[in-house]
Amino acid sequence: MSGTNGTQTELVTLTIDGKVVRAAKGSTIIQAATAAGIEVPFYCYHPHLSIPANCRICQVKVKNAPKLMVACHTQVAEGMEVNTHHTSPEVQAAQAATLEFILINHPLDCTVCDQAGHCKLQDYHFEYNAKPSRFIENKVHKVKAEPLGPTVMLDGERCIMCTRCIRFCDEITETSEIGMLNRGDRSVITVNPKKPLDNALSGTVVDLCPVGALTHAKWRFNTRIWFTKQTDSICPGCSTGCNVKVAERDGEIVQVKARLNDKVNKEWLCDEGRYGFMRFLPKHRIVTPHIGGKAAELNAALLEASKLKGQAALVLVSPDLTLEEFSVLKNLVDKTLKGAQVALAYRERPLSKVEKILVSPDYAANFRGAEFAGLVSGNLEESYAAALQKLRSGAVQQLLLVGERSIPLPDQDPALIEGIKKAAVSVGILTDAGSAVAGALKVVLPGRSILEKSGLLVNRNLRLQYTDRVVPFPDGSEPEWRMLGRLAEKMGAKLTSAEDERALTLSYLSATKQLSGVTIRQIKADGVCLKSLNAATSTAGSQTGAAQWS
Amino acid sequence: MTAHHSILLKNIRQPDQHTLAGAESRGAYSTIKKALQIDPLKVIEEVKTSGIRGRGGAGFPTGMKWSFVPRNSGKPVYLINNADESEPGTFKDRLLLENDPHLIIEGMLIAAWALQSNWSCIYIRGEYGYPFSRAKKAIEEAYAKGYLGKNIFGSNFNHDMVIHRGAGAYICGEESALMESLEGKKGQPRMKPPFPAVSGLYQCPTVINNVETLANMPFIIENGGKAFLSIGVEKSSGTKLVSASGHINKPGVYEIDMGYPMKRFIEEECGGIWQGRKLKAVIPGGSSVNIMTAPEIEKVNMDYESLRLAGSSLGCAGFMVLDETTDMVEAVLNLAHFYAHESCGQCTPCREGGHWIEKIFTRISRGQGLPGDIPLIENVCAQIGGHTICAFGDTMILPYLSIIKKFPEEFKERIGEAIRGQVKPREYLNVVYDGAH
Repeated sequence: MSGTNGTQTELVTLTIDGKVVRAAKGSTIIQAATAAGIEVPFYCYHPHLSIPANCRICQVKVKNAPKLMVACHTQVAEGMEVNTHHTSPEVQAAQAATLEFILINHPLDCTVCDQAGHCKLQDYHFEYNAKPSRFIENKVHKVKAEPLGPTVMLDGERCIMCTRCIRFCDEITETSEIGMLNRGDRSVITVNPKKPLDNALSGTVVDLCPVGALTHAKWRFNTRIWFTKQTDSICPGCSTGCNVKVAERDGEIVQVKARLNDKVNKEWLCDEGRYGFMRFLPKHRIVTPHIGGKAAELNAALLEASKLKGQAALVLVSPDLTLEEFSVLKNLVDKTLKGAQVALAYRERPLSKVEKILVSPDYAANFRGAEFAGLVSGNLEESYAAALQKLRSGAVQQLLLVGERSIPLPDQDPALIEGIKKAAVSVGILTDAGSAVAGALKVVLPGRSILEKSGLLVNRNLRLQYTDRVVPFPDGSEPEWRMLGRLAEKMGAKLTSAEDERALTLSYLSATKQLSGVTIRQIKADGVCLKSLNAATSTAGSQTGAAQWS
Repeated sequence: MTAHHSILLKNIRQPDQHTLAGAESRGAYSTIKKALQIDPLKVIEEVKTSGIRGRGGAGFPTGMKWSFVPRNSGKPVYLINNADESEPGTFKDRLLLENDPHLIIEGMLIAAWALQSNWSCIYIRGEYGYPFSRAKKAIEEAYAKGYLGKNIFGSNFNHDMVIHRGAGAYICGEESALMESLEGKKGQPRMKPPFPAVSGLYQCPTVINNVETLANMPFIIENGGKAFLSIGVEKSSGTKLVSASGHINKPGVYEIDMGYPMKRFIEEECGGIWQGRKLKAVIPGGSSVNIMTAPEIEKVNMDYESLRLAGSSLGCAGFMVLDETTDMVEAVLNLAHFYAHESCGQCTPCREGGHWIEKIFTRISRGQGLPGDIPLIENVCAQIGGHTICAFGDTMILPYLSIIKKFPEEFKERIGEAIRGQVKPREYLNVVYDGAH
């Protein structure tokens, strides 16, 4: 969390475990410690929620304070001397005791718990206590499987009462579905029977739950997390660009979790993005090129496709291609299809009050990337609607579709299919064989879904982020940029010499003046704001060089 | 019997004192008229001079508390009268609310004028049905006569007062939990800072005082802070209402001058130990303080400083006397049950630890104790005290630890019986705590 906001904040100097730390006045010990690389454990604390200080695991020793202080709530002060569990036996004892207390009524059902393996209670217990419990009495029994709503299930016994879910629904969505009932160790999390947890961000409470008390109804008991491959990626659902961690097993997405990014999605994620992640993968895969509906050799298909001519061509572009691909496509249009009309599939929809907290009204993950690459500009929604109207009218003779989402789902729009059929040359780089569009095109080339690609995305607020491949791609498919490159070769132009995605990303960064000096590591951390970059590079002058991966 | 000053219980036996007419005939609302002519800051000075300390248990100087309230913050100042009297062994506020509510209302008006507060609330314990109806009636009468509402006594000072019933939670006597409850939320304490004087009810400056504290205000303003200061002892001025209960001949609410010898209080005011038995122990300040044994109380006086030096606390003077027949294992179990039941459940050590201790005490009482139980309780208590959000965790361990420490042989005996398999049936035990609620 490298805060580079331009405002001058007053700093105070304190020591944590003997290390001299400077922190903003008004910030808390836990923030100062985290920034200094000193880990302080926590359950209830969340940087974007209010601070109830109820879990008591973050206690630290502050010199001259009469008792241990909670790091999440205590503000830093000049000259403060803080000792964490690294240097204070008293703090260690308090942490071990807190963990013992939490485990008194926590069932030891890790063997069947979805959270096992990524559970903060497990982690902290092994790190800070790791002693057998002295508790020999009966545990309190509570509800084991209560649906809080259509998406989230509660196991009351596992709950440690951190109230993160309650605070999220109170403070962020402001829907207040979740509350606490009863007192003492009989306390339970629950919802009003008449008002279940059913908002657009409901699944986020599962991410916030530090233990296995809240689980996704969709993904309960389907896999152990250590059997999955987890990838840090970006949700392609809209142009918010939420940071996600996707767990994949055998080509199936088995869990999607929000990642903390203060500048983008905090740690929230919408249900449409989370539970609908698989919708970006085609049901019926196109793995071989087709000409006129029949499977064909790639070479033949490319030759057929190379009959595209510039002047009259209409290029419809999917908004979830990577920034590098937009740049390659721009190159292709400039070199071989000069004068072609390019339209990006950009549509907006109305959003509910809760959706507006996070979701962007478009379905266009990387429309800002297309703008940044110079591929499209102006009112995208209008020009796309105009392009579709032209296609429906049958006036398009040369058609190139780049990406599955370049055209809306055609079932309700037979005029569109007719329009495609009327085109003399129609080429599409697509993924789903089941769609009517694929059947109507003269040439179909197999592409890849955004989930099968790595590359750069630019979000609505011009933050450059890196999306990583979350599922393996099938044999025979090629990313759009490579297919475009091959197509251009047939038309007598060379677009890129990159061999793979990494090389493409690096060559793109090196070739783009605005992005000189930006590293992938920076982009992966919490993104790079292109707005601030514009100002910075204008003064940086001609400081260009080859881009670095790290 | 010593003649104590009578500030609060002066008119308590008058049958019509709870009515406005009755109270007014004995001087009620005469002081507020004078107070409204005095500069509010001077009123606070007078309260500071009196040296009165909060009667709710913590004993914080009231005048100082009032002076923390920021003036002209642009926000309204709220005054809350904490009548959530829930400490085991305490019933003094109840007497005032039932029999002299106008004394309390007048005290609140004085406080409101000093703080320039236009709204106050009596937060009354949910179980106090009768005191609630009496106090509510008194407020209505005061409104009808124009003593509350707009332009009180022609001073252009407006003040509205409401009375609100709690829903039966001990923790709502804790000031920040009280405010949460008043705001319509679950009664759970807040983290401090911010303190209520800066950000309290609805994030506005708020003063929360005990019923007894506020009821002293008419006397202080009428007779001056110095007159109040002259009563009692140096650092504990004035009189104190003591709720005396337990194994004594004359239980009840007594008003004593601060600094009165405890031994004498038991023998004279309380009429001695019942049935001619001997004294075993005293819990002097409501259950959340250290217990005192019979030898310990020989020379102690009843005021904040003396009891603090004697290793206990005056608290809110919920004075419980235990005679020689008292089974300390059952006594501590009774308290453990109370605290486990009343823990709000917000923070981990109190929520989990309180119940753990209750379960261990239950086991010991049932003759299933184990040799390591007492060190375990001591260790768990050490990890509750000082580690919680509010003072509940800090204070609940005081009776546990002090009883274990001061009566170790009883626990040893009970655990020993269990280990030897000699569990004796205890017929007098007619209540069984099984941990289920």
